[in-house]
Amino acid sequence: MAEERELSKDLGLLAALTIGVGTMIGAGIFVLPGEAAAAAGPAAALAFVVAGFIALFTALSISELGTAMPKAGGGYYYINDALGPLFGSIAGWGNWLGLAFATAFYMIGFGTYAAIFLPIPELLFLNPSQVGALVAGLIFIGVNYYGTKETGSIQVVIVIILVFVLLVFTAVGLFHVDTANLQPFAPAETGGWGAVLPAAGLIFVTYLGFAEINTVAEELKNPGRNLPLAVIGSLLFVIAFYALVMLVVMGVAPYEVVAGHGEEAVPRIAESLMGWTGLALLTFGGLLATASSANASVLASSRINFAMGRDRIITDWINEVHPKFTTPYRSIAITGVLILVFILIGDIEVLAKAGSVLHLIVYGLLNVALIVYRETDAPGYDPDFTVPLYPIVPILGAFLSFALIGFMAPIEILLSVGFVVFGAVWYVLYAKDNADPTGLLGEAIAPEDDDDEDDDVYRVVVPLSNPETEQPLVRYAAASASGRDSGAELVVVNVIEVPQQTAPSQLDLEEERVQRQQELLESARDTAEQLDVNLRTRAIVGRNAGDAVLSIIDDEDADHVLLGWAGPRRRRDVLFGSTIDPILEQAPCEVTLVKDPTEQPGDIVTLAGRGPTAPVSARRAAELSRTFPDTSLTLLNVQPRPDPDDAEDERSDEEERIDPQRAGEAAIEQVASAAELSPDEYETSVLVADDVRRELITAVATYDTVCVGTTGESMVARALYGTVPSDIVENVDGTVVMARGPDRTPRTVRQGILERLGLTTDR
Amino acid sequence: MTSRTSRRVIVPIAHEPDAQMTCDAVDAYLDGEARIHILHVVEKAGGAPDKAPREAREEQAENIFETVRTHFDGGGHDIETELRYGTDVVDEIVAAAEEVDAEIAFVPRPSGRIKRLLSGNLTRKLVANDRVPVIVLPAAGERPE
Repeated sequence: MAEERELSKDLGLLAALTIGVGTMIGAGIFVLPGEAAAAAGPAAALAFVVAGFIALFTALSISELGTAMPKAGGGYYYINDALGPLFGSIAGWGNWLGLAFATAFYMIGFGTYAAIFLPIPELLFLNPSQVGALVAGLIFIGVNYYGTKETGSIQVVIVIILVFVLLVFTAVGLFHVDTANLQPFAPAETGGWGAVLPAAGLIFVTYLGFAEINTVAEELKNPGRNLPLAVIGSLLFVIAFYALVMLVVMGVAPYEVVAGHGEEAVPRIAESLMGWTGLALLTFGGLLATASSANASVLASSRINFAMGRDRIITDWINEVHPKFTTPYRSIAITGVLILVFILIGDIEVLAKAGSVLHLIVYGLLNVALIVYRETDAPGYDPDFTVPLYPIVPILGAFLSFALIGFMAPIEILLSVGFVVFGAVWYVLYAKDNADPTGLLGEAIAPEDDDDEDDDVYRVVVPLSNPETEQPLVRYAAASASGRDSGAELVVVNVIEVPQQTAPSQLDLEEERVQRQQELLESARDTAEQLDVNLRTRAIVGRNAGDAVLSIIDDEDADHVLLGWAGPRRRRDVLFGSTIDPILEQAPCEVTLVKDPTEQPGDIVTLAGRGPTAPVSARRAAELSRTFPDTSLTLLNVQPRPDPDDAEDERSDEEERIDPQRAGEAAIEQVASAAELSPDEYETSVLVADDVRRELITAVATYDTVCVGTTGESMVARALYGTVPSDIVENVDGTVVMARGPDRTPRTVRQGILERLGLTTDR
Repeated sequence: MTSRTSRRVIVPIAHEPDAQMTCDAVDAYLDGEARIHILHVVEKAGGAPDKAPREAREEQAENIFETVRTHFDGGGHDIETELRYGTDVVDEIVAAAEEVDAEIAFVPRPSGRIKRLLSGNLTRKLVANDRVPVIVLPAAGERPE
């Protein structure tokens, strides 16, 4: 009924490069050379290369993450997903405030450049640059609040103009370079070579923007190739370009002169080279560059807010899209206020450093996140592009990002520590109670120790939701756990599912649900006590119950997951249910699905065919029959009557030559020995019929509990196809146990459907 | 070719506030025979970051569709919903209509002077297309009865 077009993948490499270059070439290269020259002399040029080199590691990492999960929200998303909400809080705020600081810095740059030609007055305690910045800031925030369409072609034009302006400047400048100005390259007055790294910290902010390419990752043609090419290509281009511009700036005039021009250094140098034309050209370029960087940063921060709101690090209220403007107006307004406040700080160096430091923290964590994704084998993490020389690249990326902070002034180091504390406090006071604790989480680190200690324990995860089936399900799980030499343990899980957008007003309802969750888990504990099995409970609040259970299975290194199932659904897009489907498809351990569990399994029958899953099913059946009193266990095999016409059953070809009764018995024996059943604990029943399927269904309907194995290849595909198991489910009133063996190759619904189509063409 | 056994009408809805109003207008002016195809277009920047995160826009589209489904649940019209992405909203609407051989019916929304200046008037552009027939529905509340 509802149609949804795929988002077309029509952006090429050039468009992606343009976003990267356009966002990066901004205020930094126009505004900061003066400050950088004051900090490090001619070696400021080297500082730009060093900062770019450090950014390059993060660029490689973000390319890998972007091809694995094209998510808006920049570095924040990956950090929260991989490292959990504590680091998510630090990274989210760092990313957000870092962009706000950077934007304030761009705006002051804009104000300064505007003041070159416009008579901007001082106002109260504000200097002309700040007045210009405030006016420009208000305009940019307004434009993004009301939303005008920025198009790819405008972006291309801006980048072409910027590159052109700077190329003219360097081309003319190269003829006027006096190498004497570059001697000594690292003058003692600015602190010699030791000044290079602190200067790199100052100008690191000029490289913000390569990560923005990720926001269009989903629209890229061939993202596995184009995303890394664009991210790394745009960064390399910008590094080379900056180095060239800086060499010209430092070569044309003594560094003291450059430093003396302060923020206007680049246009003033251009003026000395080309007179008024040079001044006008570079001023225009600077205005354009700061504007485009500021615009991109405001858009980027709304993405970070969006991702943070989704993860409940901040309230999702902030993310409402304006019904008419179709802009995230609240997010933009709040970011706007931050920007205006930061403009009041006024000192361009402070703002640039704040933007740099916060991003260095985020980038450092981002590299750590990549290592966590790789090391935990996160489900669904399948990047098209992988960083070379893993783990050296992300380790160096994290180390260098954090180390660069260490080279900055003590006050800045202190501020960044203070900021991390702020993020942690935010986590404790707000995010801890709200954020989704599932995901890769801190679980990524914790379970490693557990695994080593009690790896032999047979662990059964039991997701519970219905109080009525709680008792029998825990009993079934206990049955499966009992009789293990190495010890066994049940992990009972209940997930409170929180919809994507929950208003704060719905929190009362949550409390009620939490109450119910506690009661359910308490009752499971009682059941376990009666049965004398080890049981732990886990109460989870998650976005998606299926994902939450999967992450528990992964975290606990479970051997078996046992779930209740309410019966066939009528919704087309789910097979068993939106929670069960992903578990069936992706859980690497044994999976058992129980429909209508009871305390008296009674006469149990398991299908003992040739299929690879028959032993799993037999094992489940035997476990039940051993644990519950007054039960019987039958291994059933139905053979086709030897008739070459019978094309219904796939096994007919190889079976028809021998006596069906003997073939059936042989099959049952094989299943029994594979399931390690002793001959005295089961009965054998072989039926011979024309219509195997109908006979089977009629036969099993006489039993109280039916166990069927489903193929380990894809339970969902089989169910879709309407094989024996699903026929049984529809025609049998008693308990149905569907068992699947361990499956170490995760699959998606799509794959299941494809397999199904493959089967369909067979017939 | 699509057979014209029943009339198909593409009804584009731009915003959440328009959804209810448009549903009322459809009830008032389109007969039950028509197959209504509700369309929402997510505007893409085509090579620059969009003004809102895509997922946020998709949620908004879902809200619109939800309003529509609730409105028509069990009543009168045969409803389909479609979400498209495009750099030019009018182009997408017309293309959607051409694809299923439908006509377009929509409720024009008075847009502010500034907005009209910035984005051009969508109503005028839609009516001025020469590829598919267009019906302009008056907002149902304003119908003189």
